[in-house]
Amino acid sequence: MKEKQNESLNDKKIEDLERQKNEYLNSWKRERADFLNYKKDEAERMNGMVIFIGGAVAMKILPILDNLEIIEQKIPEDLKKDENVKGILQVRKQISELLKSLKVIEIKAIGKKFDPNFHEAAGEESKEGIEPGIVIEEIKKGYLLDGKVLRPAKVKISK
Amino acid sequence: MSKVLGIDLGTSISKMATIVQGEPKCLESREGSVLVPSVVALTKNNERLVGILAERQAITNPKNTFHSVKRFIGRRYSDPEVQKELKLLSYETRKRADGGVEIKFGDKWAAPIEISAMVLQKLKLDAEEKLGGKVPAAVITCPANFDDSQRKATKAAGEIAGFKVLRIINEPTAAALAYGFGKKANQRIIVYDFGGGTFDVSILNTAPDTLEVIATGGEPHLGGRDVDQRIINWVVDQYKKEEGIDLAKDPLALQRLKEASEKAKIELSSAQETEINLPFITSDSSGPKHLLYKLSRPQFENLIRDLIDRSINRIATTIDEAKLTKSDIGEVVLVGGTSLIPAVKEAVKNFFGKEPNKSINPEEVVAMGAAIQAEILRAKEEGRAPEGDIKSVLLLDVMPLSLGIETLGGVNTVMLNKNTTIPTAKTQIFSTAADSQTSVEINVLQGERPLAQDNRSLGRFILDGIPPAPRGMPQVEVAFDIDANGILTVTAKDKATSRTQSIRIEGSVGLSKEEVEKMKREAELHAEEDKKKRESIEVKNQADSLVYLAEKSLRDAGDKISADIKKEIEDKIAELKKVKEGDNIEEIKAKTSELSQTIQKIGAQMYQQSQPGAGKKEGPDTEEGKYKEK
Repeated sequence: MKEKQNESLNDKKIEDLERQKNEYLNSWKRERADFLNYKKDEAERMNGMVIFIGGAVAMKILPILDNLEIIEQKIPEDLKKDENVKGILQVRKQISELLKSLKVIEIKAIGKKFDPNFHEAAGEESKEGIEPGIVIEEIKKGYLLDGKVLRPAKVKISK
Repeated sequence: MSKVLGIDLGTSISKMATIVQGEPKCLESREGSVLVPSVVALTKNNERLVGILAERQAITNPKNTFHSVKRFIGRRYSDPEVQKELKLLSYETRKRADGGVEIKFGDKWAAPIEISAMVLQKLKLDAEEKLGGKVPAAVITCPANFDDSQRKATKAAGEIAGFKVLRIINEPTAAALAYGFGKKANQRIIVYDFGGGTFDVSILNTAPDTLEVIATGGEPHLGGRDVDQRIINWVVDQYKKEEGIDLAKDPLALQRLKEASEKAKIELSSAQETEINLPFITSDSSGPKHLLYKLSRPQFENLIRDLIDRSINRIATTIDEAKLTKSDIGEVVLVGGTSLIPAVKEAVKNFFGKEPNKSINPEEVVAMGAAIQAEILRAKEEGRAPEGDIKSVLLLDVMPLSLGIETLGGVNTVMLNKNTTIPTAKTQIFSTAADSQTSVEINVLQGERPLAQDNRSLGRFILDGIPPAPRGMPQVEVAFDIDANGILTVTAKDKATSRTQSIRIEGSVGLSKEEVEKMKREAELHAEEDKKKRESIEVKNQADSLVYLAEKSLRDAGDKISADIKKEIEDKIAELKKVKEGDNIEEIKAKTSELSQTIQKIGAQMYQQSQPGAGKKEGPDTEEGKYKEK
């Protein structure tokens, strides 16, 4: 009688331990899988990070380029023919090339229909012969980073 | 198990967060930003835009761009405060039949909750796209001073957006939850929320598992925008004084200045000085004009001093109103982008005489707290443990202090850094410090100080039987293994003979919280002097190695080098040995460098001798032969 009781107690204990073992093993497998998945995610995240850092660097460079563009616009045409000035303005091209290497591409805005996905309106103006809602002036250039908007173009649109 | 959202539905900016692997995390919108403007627009083509896209077209569509709607949600049109706010709007409003506010939305009229619902719906869709599945439920936050009607309206907005609104919680409560407060009873917490357009202060009282708001205060129009405006005004005033031109009258110049001012504000959070550089800002009869000003942090702080003081005075009044004193406040939490300004943090710290909680991004903390609350409520509904709670089932500890061994010159060489999650293991190869050294002593250390003697020694043992060899040659592999129970086993193995010795340290790895804190404090306190001591030891070790190398090279070279070079090197060695005994680090460095230069002469002379004509025959198999110019 007692033996039987002991046996059933042992069985129960074995069952308990088995259940516990499976629980632990499964948790361990889950943890391993989580870790392996994490590593994969991390690799993907790193790739994204590289592009993101390029974007962050570009965002620091863009104000310099913006200023160079304003300079280029404001310098009188006859002065632009001066070789010294030409040389200085060549730097703008160099910066544009650098941005391209960081996957930063300019958004073409002028003449396009205003689209808030790519443009930010800074003003409206009536312009003869142009239907309303068209970008007529670019106040600040916009850029895409790897196909996504890094900075929208700041534009004036026709009324 | 479905995903939940915590949403911080702000007056000007909204944010959302969810739980990812047990941790709250803010989600970006489709446009790639965590900060989503609480703006809705209806374009001329009847297209509805929400968030940043709505904001981008606002200037061309003022009558149908709806912002700051939160200021009217659940409020009566006749409320004097509402009346004041209505005057600031670019869109049309009227009194609704039930006394609330109604907004002209295209050719129909909409309630503020409908417009808030559009913002919430965008967040829902963006979150579902990001997370790749339905997000059916959310917790939405509201200001602590929202009344019942405003809360009901916020909940209704959530429901219109398609959410099951698990709860509406106070913004300060969410911030406190994100920091894990609310577990200790009877603690008072102040939440200082300095956002883009509003300033709020709330006092919370904790009871087990609840957080109750006991007082609120604030200013509805005080925020980051005022800070930007101060910089703009300063530049405009300076320019007017110096150039006689009012930039405020030139919309294009003002636009550029606005952007530059915001940038300057952000830069001054980390830098001591910034430059506002705007070439060709304007022009007059004399030609183009440029703008270049330096703005230092103290100057900037003076510009905004009164704004900060206003916020601090509000805290004082709110504490008074709650019939409390400063000393009753246990924790201070910083919320809102403006509280990222160093002078703001400093002012709050000085007011309370203690460090405020700011480790969680103040712009994201409310949404994160809401996500935590959402997960707890959703888990309860689904009869499961909250995702973040997995840690209470499988509790993984971290090591409170670093573990290492003592190496040459009494340096503590760290093997496992503090805060490493255990169980973990690490192996590193060490060598001997003297020729023919046949044993090494392993002294296991715990602590953050760079010198062995300043740390706690957990135990030591000796590995002997290493075959005699020149210093640096034997390879002794030292392995640290700490199991889930914090039991540390340190093993040292001589790779040549495979002789192994180990020590098992139980219990003593775990220290009381007070002891750990004491050791960390000491490490901080002595950081500077420790750094110097460590540097001194390293310089001496380097000198020691060089002396050894020089002596060995002299022995190896034998009579292949001339007597005068030998003498010169021997003198330099003697000089270095002499200064090495002292404590003049600069002198040791100088002499080390001199000896290092001098011993190069050994090699130079030996190579010279091997050149043709220098007594050595050229052969095709020599290195010189192979690389000889053809």
